[in-house]
Amino acid sequence: MSEIAFPVKDLMRRKFQTGLTIVGLTICTAATVFLILFGENIGFEIALVTGGKLTTGFSNIFSLFVFMVSLLNILVGALVTSFLVYLSMSERVRDIGVMKATGCLANVAFGYFLTELFIIVFIGCVAGTIIGVLMHFACVNSLNAFGFSISQRPLNLWTVLLIFFIFVVASHILGTQPIIKAIRVKTAEALSPLYSFGITSGEPGKPASSKLSLSLKVAYRALTRRKSATRRAIICLAAVLTLTTVTIAGGIIASQTTQGYVERAVGRDIVIVGHPDLTRHYVNLLSQFFEAKDTEPINYLDQRYRIPESLVSELSNISGVLKADPRLVFEETVYEVQGVIIDPEEPDQYVLVGDHRFGEALVIGVQPEHVINEWLVFGRYLNETDVYSAVIGDSLAFEMFADPEKQAVRVFEKKFEIVGVCLDPLNNGNVAYVPLNALSTLVNGQPNCNFLFLKIDPFRRLQVLAEIEKQVSEMVLEPVELNEVLGKHMDFLGYVWSFVMFLPLFSLVTAAFCLLSYMMLSITGQQREFGIMRALGAKPKVILKIVFTEALIITLISGAIGVFVGLFFTFVFLIPEPIISHLTLVSVAGWLLLALSFLCLSSLYPAMKVVKKSIAGVLSQP
Amino acid sequence: MRAIQMRKIKERVVFASSLCKEYQIGDLIIPALRDLNLEVVESEFVSIYGPSGAGKTTLLNLIGGLDQPTSGEIVVFGHDLSTYDEDFLATFRSAYVGFVFQSYNLVSTLTALENVAFPMELAGWSEDRVKIRSEKLLRLLGLFHRANHFPGQLSGGEQQRVAFARALANDPPLILIDEPTGNLDMETGLEIVSILEKLKAKGKTIIVATHDERIIGLGNRTLYLRDGRIVAADE
Repeated sequence: MSEIAFPVKDLMRRKFQTGLTIVGLTICTAATVFLILFGENIGFEIALVTGGKLTTGFSNIFSLFVFMVSLLNILVGALVTSFLVYLSMSERVRDIGVMKATGCLANVAFGYFLTELFIIVFIGCVAGTIIGVLMHFACVNSLNAFGFSISQRPLNLWTVLLIFFIFVVASHILGTQPIIKAIRVKTAEALSPLYSFGITSGEPGKPASSKLSLSLKVAYRALTRRKSATRRAIICLAAVLTLTTVTIAGGIIASQTTQGYVERAVGRDIVIVGHPDLTRHYVNLLSQFFEAKDTEPINYLDQRYRIPESLVSELSNISGVLKADPRLVFEETVYEVQGVIIDPEEPDQYVLVGDHRFGEALVIGVQPEHVINEWLVFGRYLNETDVYSAVIGDSLAFEMFADPEKQAVRVFEKKFEIVGVCLDPLNNGNVAYVPLNALSTLVNGQPNCNFLFLKIDPFRRLQVLAEIEKQVSEMVLEPVELNEVLGKHMDFLGYVWSFVMFLPLFSLVTAAFCLLSYMMLSITGQQREFGIMRALGAKPKVILKIVFTEALIITLISGAIGVFVGLFFTFVFLIPEPIISHLTLVSVAGWLLLALSFLCLSSLYPAMKVVKKSIAGVLSQP
Repeated sequence: MRAIQMRKIKERVVFASSLCKEYQIGDLIIPALRDLNLEVVESEFVSIYGPSGAGKTTLLNLIGGLDQPTSGEIVVFGHDLSTYDEDFLATFRSAYVGFVFQSYNLVSTLTALENVAFPMELAGWSEDRVKIRSEKLLRLLGLFHRANHFPGQLSGGEQQRVAFARALANDPPLILIDEPTGNLDMETGLEIVSILEKLKAKGKTIIVATHDERIIGLGNRTLYLRDGRIVAADE
């Protein structure tokens, strides 16, 4: 028989196994193509939506998330393909033995099965690529129909071809291994009815604990005897569950953390008191995070904007004002100052870090002991003893400094050593916080402020606001609550994450299909044993319990690994400093539990199909 | 006269009337059993022989409730097996039938001891009772030293003996045996014949499909099956 005719006929004869392997590969390829195209589109959309608004630190979190999910999906796809090929080869060992016994050379048999692998991989990858592209277009159009505005970008053919190529190569590399292993089985062993591919044959079994229930005992034995298959299944599912954890837990934690960062940076129950021109301008700068607006230049240092110290004192003493934070705010050109560090290669020499860049930023003088915000700070925040120190915003740090904490920022010809970088949505992160006293001296030699930030008791809000208004009524000053602005920040981040959270949804569906394919092939491989058990009096529910227990053990082990690795990825790479509430933890745990239960329950479908088959029919199969 | 009376009081174990079984492969319908009538009473040893494809295994499967007839009636221990669901049939097999399959059909992931214990555990026996009886059966069949070995680590003869031990586990009144010596060498085949003699002496009802004349010789009755019909019967 020709080298093509045999594999084609063989695949056609084994429609179920061939179909499952192709479907498994198709799903993985389609999901990856879809994720990367859609992620690219979403990433582009995020850039469009957030361009010039979202700070660099926040943008990095989103793009890192899409990148990590796509990378994991490729890994999962290759592993799943390898595993499906392994499972289908485990059923072919006897055939290979027969071929070898009838005089077929090992390399010819290898050629036949390699051709089969090529046909399966080619069909699966082509179908997956086409379906992935179609899913992408369908999803973008559907989202637009539901009111989102995602622009349809031209298809990136090179990306699609690259994914196709990666899958074909990875599937061949990983899929060839089980074929080689199966070909290497001795002919006599392969033909023996006692031989089972992947079943350990060395040591006699230690008695399983009699305390275990029947289904647990049988499931435990099946898993420990099929070490090779179990190990592969655990690796494969652990990768799938890592992907699921990163997408679910990472997605939820990233979403809540970014919202937490903003809430801490803006502050809750904050009232700013200042001249109406200034407060309007300040709110506009704060709103650039979610809506880009051109702001008219304004002279913050105008004398009429100054707030007298006596008023600061009076407002601070109002009952219900929890904290008062006077600030001197103005827009100014700031300059990068090079830092000097010890040369890491030659410790007795020094090297310069940075350049001489400059840009417009909001310079804010604060009294460190009175600051009401709780930014996420890399490095440290200002303290009372600092004189010429500064904390700068994330965008300023990323865009204008090489190694901020080793450099300084120059304002009004005065050098301020950078001690920390904060995530701050104000003016898109183009801010520099310096001690108020030092800044006042530079500006006019007198300690003075043009803003007063007040943190008020939320339970006495109206009463406190009325008292503040009363106090400032005789001057041209107004109090403005920032809670509304904070709410808009939250809504905006929620909107952006609503795009991104489509990815976990699809990766979860991929994971479920992968597990279902695995369970179908695995249970098909065990159906003779289940037939024997039924012949001995096992009711269908006993078989279902055994299958469910096997799936549960595999899911729990791979789940523990996958969840741990997923959370490690999330906390180490994605969100190094997460803001997690009890609610976040409950929500993450709930979703993961739901995903694991869904995966476990999906194993029952192929088991239900198997128990419906005639026992005599199952036992009569070779 | 006394012998006839004795026979009359024996319970009817198997009753098959106009039993037909057909298999469909694509558009092709293959008849496996055609209008077969059979009656087996308590403690009887019935040997069925015939060429390959005559329907021996199909008949054993129908008697054991592993398959459903296409038409006709099959009543075993008073239960019309064509009318019950899978749950009942499972309980029925557990309580009444012990199987010894042609290719042993041991669960490859369970040890010899666990294979023997399996039917008892399914029947809900206590742990101690299961342990004692499993070990006793393996000792009886000379396999106790292989109790913790998996089927893949046992020879064909040893596997067949484990299959016999498993078939006897629940002490079923009916034992169905399919080609017990088909895959074994002469010496091991003799061991199996010896086991069958012991079972017959214990008064078990045994139906065995075989080509082995040593086993046929053990039977109270021998049926010759060809093309799905009983074409000859010797007592």
